Amino acid sequence: MSEPLKNIIRFILFILVQALVLNQMPPLHRFITPYLYLLFIFWLPFNMGRVGLLITGFLLGLVLDFFTKTPGLHASSVLLVAYIRPFLITLMVPKDTRELAVGSPSMQSMGASSYFLFAALLTFFHHVWLVFLEWMTFGNFIYFLGKVFFSTLVSLLLMLITELLFRPIKSSKRR
Amino acid sequence: MRNIFLLIRRFSVLLLFIVLQILSLSMLVKYSTSHQARYMEYAYEVTGNINARYNNFTRYFSLAENNRFLADENTRLTNERKQNFTRIDTAVEQKQIITFVDSTPLTRKYVWRTARVINNSVSAQNNYITLQRGRNQGIDKDMAVISPAGIVGIVTDVSENMSIVMSLLHRKSNTSVALKNSGITGILEWDGTNPQRLILRGIPKSAEIKKGDTVLTSNLSLNFPEGLHVGTIAEFNKETGGNNYTIFLKPGANFYSLEFVSVIENLFLKEQLELEQRAKRN
Repeated sequence: MSEPLKNIIRFILFILVQALVLNQMPPLHRFITPYLYLLFIFWLPFNMGRVGLLITGFLLGLVLDFFTKTPGLHASSVLLVAYIRPFLITLMVPKDTRELAVGSPSMQSMGASSYFLFAALLTFFHHVWLVFLEWMTFGNFIYFLGKVFFSTLVSLLLMLITELLFRPIKSSKRR
Repeated sequence: MRNIFLLIRRFSVLLLFIVLQILSLSMLVKYSTSHQARYMEYAYEVTGNINARYNNFTRYFSLAENNRFLADENTRLTNERKQNFTRIDTAVEQKQIITFVDSTPLTRKYVWRTARVINNSVSAQNNYITLQRGRNQGIDKDMAVISPAGIVGIVTDVSENMSIVMSLLHRKSNTSVALKNSGITGILEWDGTNPQRLILRGIPKSAEIKKGDTVLTSNLSLNFPEGLHVGTIAEFNKETGGNNYTIFLKPGANFYSLEFVSVIENLFLKEQLELEQRAKRN
């Protein structure tokens, strides 16, 4: 399957899972709202242009917003993630890996620990911005911190499981 | 001039980021103050369709509970039938015979319509419910929405075939309610934390309340008919500074499994609002 087609299918699947499964679940606790759809942004290829990345991120957030009836909320947060992503990649990925035109961030290409850091940082930024916008008019700081912390933890756990299920590390190197 | 273009080219990504960010933030602010946007009507139709398909599967999960609600509702309605009441002949002697002439025929004030819930959230700070019934099927803004077990919310936006309900679990929701025993009215709100805990303000400390007291909609409410079940008092707090209690309410409606709701139209709403507006202006 070609890369763009694969990404379009992923886009639809992530939106449906997020809107119809994760957002519909009775919350475990009021602090916890898991977000999985961010993985779509993480999995985009290294060589994608920054303008394209921003527009894709904006669209992803906006489509989810149409489901949750909060136009702009997720769009704004994913936009932030899409903006920060190239900077993190420049910092964390060795240059020769980045220049392989076909690769995309994964445990395979970046190494498990640095990929995890990459995902954790982006998820954290996303949640801080999202919860900040959500609670702007409310102003209870404990809730803000609690929600950011626990939602980030649960989201990361879900992402890790998804990652291991669908893109496991292949131990045998083919040469 | 050339330098400006060079500058724009150099910071094009940052500029695009800022432009899109401003766009999304302005959408967010605009929608959260007015709850209406032209482009969202198309979005309701599309997401509503997807939700309706999905709901065709998920509604089987809450079938048992909804059957029970319908049975309860049926029993309640059957109990109110005229045949169940009789006159007991206690009069020994009638000194005066009065004939009543009905000089005040009844006028319909409320119309009830059924609608199916196809999307529902409880986990956000501002929760909305989507109904598969819209403008073409007689739903309009500001109509009240109730479930068999208690009130649910108010319609805030409609499209052709869908409508959006601001649930009680919304930080801007405020409904006029009254205690069943004493009839003292207060305002029902939600603080965005626990879906099982609504907040009732404005009940003076002189009122006698206890845990488990029933709260109904008040006669002051614009949208809701009087006397519908809202919830029961879960706990209350006397040690606040002001003259009023802070009362926490357990909502009667189960927001986790809404299936069918009734949408109530107040036929006098427009007239009342216009009159009140005019009185305020003068």
